[in-house]
This record gives sequence, C-alpha cells and structure tokens, in this order.
Amino acid sequence: MIELVSDSRERLLQRARRDGLESVGYRVVDSPLGPLWIAVGPKGVLAIHYGAEPSPGELARIVRTYGPGVLPDARRADPVARELDQYFAGKRKSFDVAVDLSPLTAFQRRILGATARVAFGDVSTYAKVAAKAGSENASRAAGQALGSNPIPIVVPCHRILASDGSLGGYAGGLEAKRVLLQLERGSVPSGGWKRSQ
Amino acid sequence: MTEISTFGELLERHEREIFAYALRLTGDRDDADDVYQETFLAAFKGWPPPRRGQERAWLYRIATNKVIDRARKAKRRARLSDVTDLRLAAPERDGVSLADLTAAVKVLPAGQRAAFVLRKVEGLDYADVARALECSEEAARSRVAEAMKKVREAMK
Repeated sequence: MIELVSDSRERLLQRARRDGLESVGYRVVDSPLGPLWIAVGPKGVLAIHYGAEPSPGELARIVRTYGPGVLPDARRADPVARELDQYFAGKRKSFDVAVDLSPLTAFQRRILGATARVAFGDVSTYAKVAAKAGSENASRAAGQALGSNPIPIVVPCHRILASDGSLGGYAGGLEAKRVLLQLERGSVPSGGWKRSQ
Repeated sequence: MTEISTFGELLERHEREIFAYALRLTGDRDDADDVYQETFLAAFKGWPPPRRGQERAWLYRIATNKVIDRARKAKRRARLSDVTDLRLAAPERDGVSLADLTAAVKVLPAGQRAAFVLRKVEGLDYADVARALECSEEAARSRVAEAMKKVREAMK
C-alpha cells in the first residue's frame, strides 16, 4: 500500500506543480546532527530546521509569505540536500544555493547577511557581526536575530561566538554548534575560545 | 493534533486512508490512483477546508463524489459503446429509429456520434450530455444538431 501511495503521490505532485499549486517544496534529510527539515521556495532556501518537522512558528512564517502550497517535494530540495551532504563530508566549504531571507525584518537580514560573510573555519562575535551590519551597539539584538536564523548551517550562525570567546547559544543546541565548529576547525576547546584560555 | 495549515500536512496526514478508501470503492488500482489525485487536487484548489478541524470528513466527501462521478461516466460510456456496436436497437424517440441510428453510426464522426447517441438514444438532457462529453452545453447542442442534420441527409 505504501508503495502504491508513493507512486500516486509523485504523480499528484507533478500535477500540483503543473497547476501552480506548489509554492514551497520540502523534504527531510539525515545528517550527522540528526534529521533536518529543508524548505525551498521560489527565491531559494527558506528554512533548514533541526528535526523532522518544522516548528509551528516556522511553518506559520512560511505560510504567511508563500501561502498554504507547501508540499513534500524531494526533487526541489535536492540541490540543498546535496550541498549539505558535501559539507558534512568535508567536501564543501561554502554553499552555492540561493537563500531567501525576504520574510525577515531588515535588521535580521543585515545581521544574517554579515554572518554569511564569515568564512568557513573563521569565527566572529555577536558584537562584531552587529557592527558589520551597521548596528554597533546591538550585539544582544544580533544574538536574538541569530537565534532565530531560519537557515542555519547555510547561513553559518554557528561561527558566531559570545564576545568573551565562549560558544554562546545555538538554536540547534550547543552540541550541534560544537560539531559544526569541529568539522570546520578540527577541534573546539571545552569552553570555546575564551580569552583566559 | 495541531491544526492543518498547509497542503503538505493535509497530504501526509490523510493520503493513505484516502487511497485505501478509493481502492475499496473502485476495486481498481488505476481508478483509485485517479480518485486519490482528483481528490487532493480538488482540496488544494478549494482551500481552505470549509471547517477547520474537519479536514478528514471534507476529504472523504470529495473522494466519494469523485467515485460517484466516475461510476456515472463509466456507465454512460459502457452504454454508448454497446449502442454504437449496433447490437442494440434504438428506442423510437424524437423520430429516431434503428435506421436513423444505423445511418448515424455510418456517417458521423466520433464526437457527433457520441452526442447523437447520448441525446437521442440514451435520452440524457443537454447538461448531462455536456458532462459526459466534457464540453460546454452549447457545444453539446451544436454537436447533436449537426449530427441530426447529417443523419437526415443520410436518410434521404
């Protein structure tokens, strides 16, 4: 039965695409950090969510921007999945897929834009990112904007540390942040890169 | 259970039971596939569901109507096929005799022949003829009129 439905679903999705009913396609991929829910809209990657399902808030944001036509569509999300696979395999240091930050506020876009310029293997701080985004005194707000980054890994908020060099926070959990930094830098001191160390 | 806000949630939550339901009603895999697809496409196009929280009942209603529509169409097609085999005599209706029917089958192209038989043999009204032929009622009337004209010419 599952196979029958799977074949039928593929044909249904083709018809939905042809009829302009699909605005966003999504799929779930496995990663060393567990399942990731990926959504791709007309302008690029909209979301990478830690877990097999998006949070209600995440989904509401997508529906507000692109309507209810959010459908499972592995084909559409494949390019992102492929680049993530390459990244986790150590074969990719930057992402080529387009990202869609349009549902965010101008401040969030500036902070995430500055974050995206922190290269593989480098780290920065909330304060420096805020300054690069033109808001020198907004390191706390920068931290909040990074905490709600809808496209982690591709927009590398894991490279941003607290001003004292400690790991700070991470929406996917500090262990995930540590794994990503280890992948890029080889090793991560237990407390991050605090100046006292 | 959280409220459904996207097509994907509706699909992932209900597609298996709707497919199984269609398979039970039609008894045929291809027909069930068609009903499944038509049901969800109709749901997406008719979004949002009429009552939040009753999406399941809504899908079952759409699927049931699709199955009924298909059965009705299939019955008509079967009858049409029998009649055009000329093994069945046409009833005397609107002055159409077996001779008329024989002439019609010989001279009419397929579209006009179907329109002629549905209207003059099966006795469907024009709205149903249009549905059976998947054309407008105006087009159905036009096909029947043209067919009648050709039949009369053939009978001269």
